[in-house]
Amino acid sequence: MKAQPTATRRAVLSGVALAGAVLAAGLTSALPARAQADYPNQPITLIVPFAPGGASDFAARLLQPRLSAILGQQIVVENRDGAAGNVGMDLAARAKPDGYTLFLGNVGTVSINPYIFSNLRVKPLQDFIPISIVADTPGLLIANPAFPPNNVKELVEYVKARPGQVNFASPGSGSVNRLEMEAFRREAGLDMIHVPYKGGAGPATADVMGGHVSLMFVTISSGINHVKGGRLKALGVSTKQRVPQLPDVPTMTEQGFPKSVSSSWQGVLAPAGTPQPIINKLHAAIVEAMKDPTIKERMGESGVIAVSSPTPADFKAYIEADAAKWSGVIKDIGVKAD
Amino acid sequence: MELFNDLLLGFSVALTPMNLAYGFLGVLLGTIIGVLPGLGPVATISILLPVTFALPAPAALIMLAGIYYGAQYGGSTTAILVNLPGESSSVVTAIDGYQMARKGQAGLALATAALCSFIAGTLATIVIAVAAPALAEVALDFGPADYFSLMLFGLVAAVILAHGSIVKAIGMILVGILLGTIGIDANTSVERFTFGIPSFGDGIDFAVIAMGMFGIGETISNLGGSEQGRTFVKEVKNLWPRWADIKRFIKPALRGTALGGCLGLLPGGGPVLASFSTYALEKKLSKTPGEFGKGAIEGVAGPEAANNAAAQTAFIPMLTLGLPSSAVMALMIGALMMQGLSPGPQLMNQRPDLFWGLIASMWLGNLMLVILNLPLVGIWVKLLSVPYRMLYPAIMLFCCIGVYSIHNNALDVVLAAIFGGFGFLAKKLHCEPAPLLLGFILGPMIEETLRRALLISHGDPTVFVTRPISLSFLVLTFLLLIVLVAPMIRVTRQRAFEESTD
Repeated sequence: MKAQPTATRRAVLSGVALAGAVLAAGLTSALPARAQADYPNQPITLIVPFAPGGASDFAARLLQPRLSAILGQQIVVENRDGAAGNVGMDLAARAKPDGYTLFLGNVGTVSINPYIFSNLRVKPLQDFIPISIVADTPGLLIANPAFPPNNVKELVEYVKARPGQVNFASPGSGSVNRLEMEAFRREAGLDMIHVPYKGGAGPATADVMGGHVSLMFVTISSGINHVKGGRLKALGVSTKQRVPQLPDVPTMTEQGFPKSVSSSWQGVLAPAGTPQPIINKLHAAIVEAMKDPTIKERMGESGVIAVSSPTPADFKAYIEADAAKWSGVIKDIGVKAD
Repeated sequence: MELFNDLLLGFSVALTPMNLAYGFLGVLLGTIIGVLPGLGPVATISILLPVTFALPAPAALIMLAGIYYGAQYGGSTTAILVNLPGESSSVVTAIDGYQMARKGQAGLALATAALCSFIAGTLATIVIAVAAPALAEVALDFGPADYFSLMLFGLVAAVILAHGSIVKAIGMILVGILLGTIGIDANTSVERFTFGIPSFGDGIDFAVIAMGMFGIGETISNLGGSEQGRTFVKEVKNLWPRWADIKRFIKPALRGTALGGCLGLLPGGGPVLASFSTYALEKKLSKTPGEFGKGAIEGVAGPEAANNAAAQTAFIPMLTLGLPSSAVMALMIGALMMQGLSPGPQLMNQRPDLFWGLIASMWLGNLMLVILNLPLVGIWVKLLSVPYRMLYPAIMLFCCIGVYSIHNNALDVVLAAIFGGFGFLAKKLHCEPAPLLLGFILGPMIEETLRRALLISHGDPTVFVTRPISLSFLVLTFLLLIVLVAPMIRVTRQRAFEESTD
């Protein structure tokens, strides 16, 4: 409607416009307030950017029943895998920010992919509001049992005596496990050859077990059973304190590499623009859910630590520090996909 | 008799009414998704995985396993009836199975597939029970160099699949390899031929190409023919295998089982490699190799036995070492972890009920499948008498649903349509789709293992001839090449001779 208003019409119109603006302002503040007060009143979708059966799916499925009970609404886990998690992340970032679509982000999608895939549309640090971490999965430095070094000190000496001769595997060239090794070997000044695999930790672990590659970092959940079963040996774990499930495995810190503290974490994020009261409500619910002994026990069996962030701001700070660390490593080694 | 006691324990678990019921549900679902084009066991198990969390561990695993090997049975049905392989492992079955159906032997082909799968399933179950741990060690001995040589052997063997022009077959293999390069490169994270489309990052799904080339392409080319062209439907003869047929297919079935059982242990293309190397073997052993591609029963029996045996032995690395050899096995490991169980070498000792229960259920599942499938043969064959105008829209619809369900991505459906056009064109040019699909599957694996082997050896190519396993496959590849090339040389020599006498 584009009329040429006369003076009086203009006055009337401006009056109407003013009233409308006031009303609109009132509505916009009132409507979400009402929506927030009875949030959630419909099922909530939690997008997992990986296929069922993986670590992220594992965390989501464990969280689902408890979180549904606390919020009084069903949490629907939706697996949208593809392109190293970028497909699901993109979908979640563009969802309506009303608290009914959440994203289960992890170290790969949030802290690593933005620095590897330069054409990535999503900027996780801007497009998401972090709510809380839920799982902290340490990295485990594993080796074939026949590989001579038995700890990190021996490993450093062994590799230094054989520059460029020792091979290490990884589940992918842009994987956190590769970056963990790159960060470690830079700090230790080691020259090793990187052998990337694809299709998860399985094929790479199999080749370390078969003795075709000497060592690699894996997430503790992929390696713990093989270490306990004696098919692989663990040289170190990337936590500050030792992991209770592997009490004999020293930390990287203990062995002189305090920078080798890292985690394949999983956490819940919401699309940017989700109202703060909803974020707070979800945060409280997740903190409550993570106290559940079943979740702690199930995660604990595979060496994963069930955790929650004290506040959403803490999780934000955690992600920012994590992203800064990995982007630095990526820049150093020059992995890039355009 | 420890084995006897273990098996007794296994059957006591597998024969409880609940586990029997879940086993039956699994194989039934598996058969259905196998029959439906595009819907594969990976998607189905993904969807059903959360449901199994509420079940006890043995019931959950028995059902998921049932879906997996049930799909191998069902996958051959559409391959034989309408030339539409539902699973990658039934691509080869489609070659001779469909030709048998065209000759009015659809029933015989289906019954042969079911019986040979059962024979293979039974023998493979025995092998798992007796030798699983020892075989798992063999699988670990395979390094990247060995895989490379094996895949190379497979690729050369793919040429034998062609029953027409060898040059065209090689062309199709190369197109397949090219299509296989699409996606993010594992070594450098560089995107190849993705045109900036994120969905291409993981490459094109096998099912998209298979549905397009076979399903849609076949439909288009059939529309070109007249309704009378389908006379084969009316003269359905010998629904059941006669003694003569059994005598013909028993040996290929046994050879297929042996070959499939071995290749199933290896990660990656186990069942696929198994089914077509068996086909290649049978064609070479046959006294009438000319029949292959025109409806040879051996061409159905061998590959069907092989893919089922491979599907079965693929469980060995997962059960004994906790290592997944395929996407389905990775899902099984996920299922075990959600149950609070740790897949690994200790599983067998910690939960013998689960381990032996699953093994016993595999045999029971195979028995159920053969009982389920044999009476269905008559019904499936009747499906062929459905008029074109109803059958083909239905096939197209199922193809679209199946393709869309892989990643919930409409682009996949568009791609399948494009491959449909390409499939039609290829058919008109007498280029066969099977070699293309095998190139598509094996090409990326060859590249991956070649680069990995050379990375590990620090660029030293002698690694391929100094490792005994690798060397054996290279020698076999060389022999195969001679076998392939020799007739051609003879023909050209003959021609040269004829010319000179002219």
